[in-house]
Amino acid sequence: METVLMNILGAVATFLVAFVVGMTYGGLSRKITARVQNRKGPPFYQNFIDAFKLGSKKSAIHHGAMHHLGPAFLMVSSVMTLMLVPVLTHNNWYPNLNFKGDLIFLLYIMTFGPLGMALGAGQTGNPNSAIGVTRGLSQMVGFEIPWVLALVSLMIQYHTTSITGLMAAQAHTGTWLMFSSPFAFIAAVMAMLGMFRYSPFDIVGAPTELASGPIAESGGKYLFVMMSSGSVFTFAKLTLYVDLFMGGADNLGILLIKTFALYLIPMLYGVTTPRYRTEQAVRWFWGWPSFFGLLAILQAVIF
Amino acid sequence: MREKATTLYIGPQHPGITGNMMVKVQVEGDTIVKARTEVGYLHRAFEKLQERRNWLQSFTLLCRFCVPEPDPVEESYARAVELLEGREVPERAKYIRVLMLELARIGSYMLWFGGQNGSLGLYTMGQWSVGDRNYILDLFEELTGGRVYHMYIWPGGVRRDLPEGFADKVLRTMDYLEKRLKDYDDLMFENTIFQKRTQGVGIISKEKAVEWGVVGPVLRGCGIKSDIRIDDPYEVYDKLDFIVPTHEGGDIWSRALVRRQEIRQSIHIIRQVIEKMPSGEIYNRIPNPHKWALPKGDAYARTEATRGEVGMYIVSDGSTHPRRVHFRGAAYVHAITLLEDILVGENVADISAIMNSLGTCPPEIER
Repeated sequence: METVLMNILGAVATFLVAFVVGMTYGGLSRKITARVQNRKGPPFYQNFIDAFKLGSKKSAIHHGAMHHLGPAFLMVSSVMTLMLVPVLTHNNWYPNLNFKGDLIFLLYIMTFGPLGMALGAGQTGNPNSAIGVTRGLSQMVGFEIPWVLALVSLMIQYHTTSITGLMAAQAHTGTWLMFSSPFAFIAAVMAMLGMFRYSPFDIVGAPTELASGPIAESGGKYLFVMMSSGSVFTFAKLTLYVDLFMGGADNLGILLIKTFALYLIPMLYGVTTPRYRTEQAVRWFWGWPSFFGLLAILQAVIF
Repeated sequence: MREKATTLYIGPQHPGITGNMMVKVQVEGDTIVKARTEVGYLHRAFEKLQERRNWLQSFTLLCRFCVPEPDPVEESYARAVELLEGREVPERAKYIRVLMLELARIGSYMLWFGGQNGSLGLYTMGQWSVGDRNYILDLFEELTGGRVYHMYIWPGGVRRDLPEGFADKVLRTMDYLEKRLKDYDDLMFENTIFQKRTQGVGIISKEKAVEWGVVGPVLRGCGIKSDIRIDDPYEVYDKLDFIVPTHEGGDIWSRALVRRQEIRQSIHIIRQVIEKMPSGEIYNRIPNPHKWALPKGDAYARTEATRGEVGMYIVSDGSTHPRRVHFRGAAYVHAITLLEDILVGENVADISAIMNSLGTCPPEIER
């Protein structure tokens, strides 16, 4: 009983850490972007203020059950992803839900949220939302290819479909997978650009094209849930990359350094690039990133 | 099988629209099959209101015809009035007017950089260029007292002379902006994604450009060398050395290149103006404006703005008020008839980018 209680408390603590770190990264992103753009920018804690404001609002618009459930699906997907990803290497206060094959399960669960959101946005009847959803799913088809190729190459090379198994392999050899499987790392990082939806892959909610797309009909608490789940998802994805390619992290400090370094890649790239069109984005993911993914498979098979 | 068309309303409240107007498009997949522009959200009856004001009071309305660049409108009106009355303008005032017009041209292009790149998601470029535009607005503020609306060029000359040290400030600002153009090139024109998004998009053929009455950078982006400053010189443009850039593509990319090169030409013109500007009077004083009647007749003056040719046609019945004022804005052709035509067949993602590339300015459409 005591263990179950500790696990529940640990899971809640992990969620809170993910929420705070994700929101703070979002705030820092706004600050850094502003500095690049010769602006002062908002304080790094602005996202917390925004979230509080959105959460305090009453929602008067009602589009049906799926519209209500869309943000909930996003949050469920984010939390489940977080629960499957080992946050710290030697974590004695919360054993995460790892099991054999969790990496394959994770691939599915990471797409669950966007699909749920698609159903919710579709029910609003706003054509901008529908087009945004179509764009999001198309882009997902694009970046999933190099992402899956990278993961499959790791599974082949290290004979495991478990995240903890891949972390153990790194601990055993003393080499991060980003160095021992460089092609897989490059493919995965290129796929990450699509996952984070910074420019040039911010096609889903492109304001000047779709008036913010899927979230066009959402406000107040809906946006609060989306913002929160987005922050948790950001932390979970970054932690997953650290676990898979950078040997995990022994403590929170190391984790923050590694995740933020990774987070800077899509953010800074996004500051200096315009947006792709949908077909251009998909074509890009099926180009060099997929090529590096195939090289990673070859490396795994040959070596 | 033919796909079912979806109707999208780009505006009147939409981040992608360039002002208070709407483009209603029907799309099949991502391809536009039909486009209709709708205006009427911003009509303020400026032309009619001018009939209720004396010849000078109109200036409070003129500067609002196109907010990003009000000076060419003021200049064309002032010159039309001078043509009708036969009023001479001091040489120094003409140079100062050109200085104002070229500063306004650079400032307007800086703002356009923001709109064009914002439509494509490159927000950093807009933040940079709109930030740099503030240096131009600082100059306007020092010279005219206003940052955006100036009411500085008026019949008979300009309202006040250059303050002490102003010319040096202008030159320093030009030096700074010239250096910044390199940064703009790195971020925007040498960016492969910007090239992919703009090359071959929103194409206007030479024939169509002439047929539709396209003007300004949009026409020059089709490879046709046309500029009122050269074709029908006014003020002191005939005494200045500059070239008119053209590009052949007829697409967003070509129009962007033309504007980029025109900034450099404007910097070149401003330096010449500072160097050649004579001393002397700046204003051929008009009588008491409330009793100032223009002779019966009409006059037309045209000026090269950043959207293209803007023209002012005025009719006087010999009284202290205009009988009729008509304004010809480039955006009327670009944003209504031309836009509806060239959007067909384009990708829905490019609507905003094409609109921005045409220099659409809804207040100019609805006078």
